[in-house]
Amino acid sequence: MPDRPVPPHPALALDDTVHQRVRLGILTVLSETRECKFATLRDELGLTDGNLNRHLRILEQAELLRVVKGYEGRRPCTWLRLTRQGRAALRAEVAALEQLVSRLRDATAEPEPES
Amino acid sequence: MSSTDGKRSVEILAELDRLRDRTRTRTHNGAWLPALAVAVLLLASTALYRTPFAQSRTTVVHHPYWAGLPDEQRHPVLSYVFWFVGVPLLVAATGTWYGWRARRLGLRVSWPLFAGTGLGVLLLLAVVAAVPRTEIQPGTLVDQQPGWWHGMLTPLLSIAVAVLALAWAERSPALAAAGAWIALLTAWLCGSPRLGELAPWATDILGWQSGSLGGQLALRPGHYLVLMALPLVVFAAVRAARSRRRPDA
Repeated sequence: MPDRPVPPHPALALDDTVHQRVRLGILTVLSETRECKFATLRDELGLTDGNLNRHLRILEQAELLRVVKGYEGRRPCTWLRLTRQGRAALRAEVAALEQLVSRLRDATAEPEPES
Repeated sequence: MSSTDGKRSVEILAELDRLRDRTRTRTHNGAWLPALAVAVLLLASTALYRTPFAQSRTTVVHHPYWAGLPDEQRHPVLSYVFWFVGVPLLVAATGTWYGWRARRLGLRVSWPLFAGTGLGVLLLLAVVAAVPRTEIQPGTLVDQQPGWWHGMLTPLLSIAVAVLALAWAERSPALAAAGAWIALLTAWLCGSPRLGELAPWATDILGWQSGSLGGQLALRPGHYLVLMALPLVVFAAVRAARSRRRPDA
């Protein structure tokens, strides 16, 4: 009897760009709003300007978010917006994480073999 | 996969859930004001009818229904001006509110969708309907009356669509239900030959009289407008109370 095809492990669906904890946080905040101010995101995630900038550059290069520069009165202001790819990437990442968790639950629920 | 990886995934998911809830609450806590403003506009439009709450022996209905519902209005031009000034004012107030919140919180809502939809549908109605002039006398034969779709030339339709757009921008199923309720009442009231007319099957369901020829609810435009505004008022009260409890959740 031929072996049944083994489904790929959910960990393989994790995207290295998105999976990083801070970047997941950035995408999650942006997914709940049309645009978010740089300073708000920095305070929300408890990061420094430099640290947030580094993660934003990576996400921008992957075209997962867009940086919109403007002015508020005379003060320069940076707004961040999730792209369609960013939304899809976040959804896929959360789905992969949920699959991992359900796999763990199934594994722990299985009765231990008797010795 | 080790159990440590799994536990880490559980932690990450829980953290993301907390972050999502917090951002959602902060972003959408301000929805109570536009909802209340729309409700106030609906309730204020009762002033456009000659007898908004009392029964009237004779009614002369002008088409298109610039007051909103097919009933005798004080003056068609007054109704026309009310909506064409009222809706832009509502949009301007909403824009000011969302602009202030965005500066304070650093979070923006897709409110231009609400503004564009409300104004766009109203302008479309104006283009289609041009100016109010057709008079429908009571007792007109059914086949001489305009089709049901003529009833859709009412500013209430733009309000219903704008509330649905607001629901989408605010990701609120409750606002979506309120918009659908206004659309449903508008389609029924403006699509029937007489205000509040019930089809035979509806009177059968209500158990008034089996096999009847239909009926009519003894409600006036003011009552229907209160019914339309009620879900919005409840939504605004609940959301405002929540935002007072958790102003910066």
